Amino acid sequence: MIVGDFMQHKVVAIEAKSTIQEAARKIVKQHLGVLPIVDEQGKPKGIVHLQDLLNLELPDFVHFVGDVDFVHDFGAVETTRPTTEMLMRSITTLMQPVITVDENCGLLRAYALMLQHRIFDIPVVNKSGKLVGIVSRVDIGTAILSQWSGVRTKKS
Amino acid sequence: MMLPAILTSAIFLATLWLIFSEKLDRTITGIAGAALTVALGKLLGFYSETAALKSVDFNTLGLLLGMMILVALLEPTGFFQYLAVLAARLSKGRPVRLLILLGAITTILSMFLDNVTTVVLIAPVTILISEILGVNPVPYLITEALLSNTGGVATLVGDPPNVLIGSAAGLSFDDFLIHSLPIVLVAWFAVLFLLRYLFRRELTIEPKNSKAVMELNPTEALEDRRMAQRVLIVLAIAILAFFFHSRLHLSPAFVALTAAAVALLWVRPNMREMLERVEWSVLLFFAALFVMVGGLEAAGVLEGIVKLLENASVIPPVLFGVALIWIIGIISAFVDNVPITIAMIPVIQGLGASGMKIDPLWWALVFGAGFGGNGSIIGSTANIVVVSLSEKTRTPITAKQWNKIGFPAMLLACVVSSILYVLVYPLF
Repeated sequence: MIVGDFMQHKVVAIEAKSTIQEAARKIVKQHLGVLPIVDEQGKPKGIVHLQDLLNLELPDFVHFVGDVDFVHDFGAVETTRPTTEMLMRSITTLMQPVITVDENCGLLRAYALMLQHRIFDIPVVNKSGKLVGIVSRVDIGTAILSQWSGVRTKKS
Repeated sequence: MMLPAILTSAIFLATLWLIFSEKLDRTITGIAGAALTVALGKLLGFYSETAALKSVDFNTLGLLLGMMILVALLEPTGFFQYLAVLAARLSKGRPVRLLILLGAITTILSMFLDNVTTVVLIAPVTILISEILGVNPVPYLITEALLSNTGGVATLVGDPPNVLIGSAAGLSFDDFLIHSLPIVLVAWFAVLFLLRYLFRRELTIEPKNSKAVMELNPTEALEDRRMAQRVLIVLAIAILAFFFHSRLHLSPAFVALTAAAVALLWVRPNMREMLERVEWSVLLFFAALFVMVGGLEAAGVLEGIVKLLENASVIPPVLFGVALIWIIGIISAFVDNVPITIAMIPVIQGLGASGMKIDPLWWALVFGAGFGGNGSIIGSTANIVVVSLSEKTRTPITAKQWNKIGFPAMLLACVVSSILYVLVYPLF
């Protein structure tokens, strides 16, 4: 039971020289939650999550006020957009450190890594460190459950 | 006997410099300085542990601790959030009105509670209100810090220097209401008008969405109504007791600590969480400074300063007081006003012992130390708190920006208080 058997082989990544706008375009077009950032050799350098991009628009007060239940209307914030100048900055300004697993990594280890780092997708690399796929909590979770007795259906 | 004086002064000045330059946490600096002073005193035989312990003013520490516990109990109830949201609704999203209301609430709270806590709790809601209105939060944040510094000067418990001076000079809560409050009121309005003028451009920009603040619900912002009610009742009784403490022969520390005890019994909070919100580092910093200043006194430094100042007694006492407001004010703008106040107290007491009329000088010290804190970004802890919070937002407050607003505010408050000081001098 290794990650390589259950990962998505089609993985969308972006080069480090791209802008925030280009990353956003890619995320929107492919409907993604994460976007690994790779160097020229195709090795993961970092990652941006959908959330990192959304932080550009999220109002500051959300970080300071513990409970926003009493704010029924976000008012001007709802229509505030990041400036074009901000979107032209390099995607590396939003880059987070990336956690990767080898394609031979066991499923439970991959799942434990996700839990501990509070992430939902892990890029998968091969022996030489190149990005070869990506695996989500659902991919791994269902793969594990499918091993339980009487769970796997005949068809699969 | 020159060596002890030179060495203790050197330790004290080095401590001030380290605090000023922010190279080292102020409490760490204080504790190290205190230990060094006592060690030096024992080595050269002019100071001892017993003497060090005696120089700690436990009345100040008790009053501060009692008030800190009350605030620590009020903090998680959302009461401050409730007030700020109420202000936003009452302002109907109009910038000038919002500035005045938020400024007034911060001031009233900081007259009875710690300025820093007040600002820490009001500033986040201020950012919230500004953001949903679509206006820059900076004018509101700076106004809150400046007005809470200014308003805190009015009462015995409003500002740490007042607690120190009140305790050393035996000034009661009433004394502050009679001598300080009227002058502070005038200075407060003067500063408010100045801020209205200095922020005139920001305040004429129409908010993008003034309707959204009307959707804020103050009662929902109040997270624990029952606890808030209980703590506020105790706080109100404590404030009432402050009015009568001198007539009842109760020390302010006793009133504050008893109120804290009653509130704790009534609310019965999780003590570990509550004690985490008490600012122990401030209390330790004060205790350390007391020990250091005790060393300065024992080494004869303060006596020397008193002798020096006695020569100045040829100038009229009124001018002496005004000069004190300005000197202390300017020093307090750049150095923490607490060590300055602790060091000045024995000097003024010394002047009193040599026959000078010192009652008016206490008030000069109150005004100088209080209003001086507005002058720079590091002048008071409230300023530092507001600025460091704003640095985590899209609109950080810069030192340059602060100087353009805070320094004129400090000058104006010092001018106003100097004029009134001269006018009412015979009454002090």
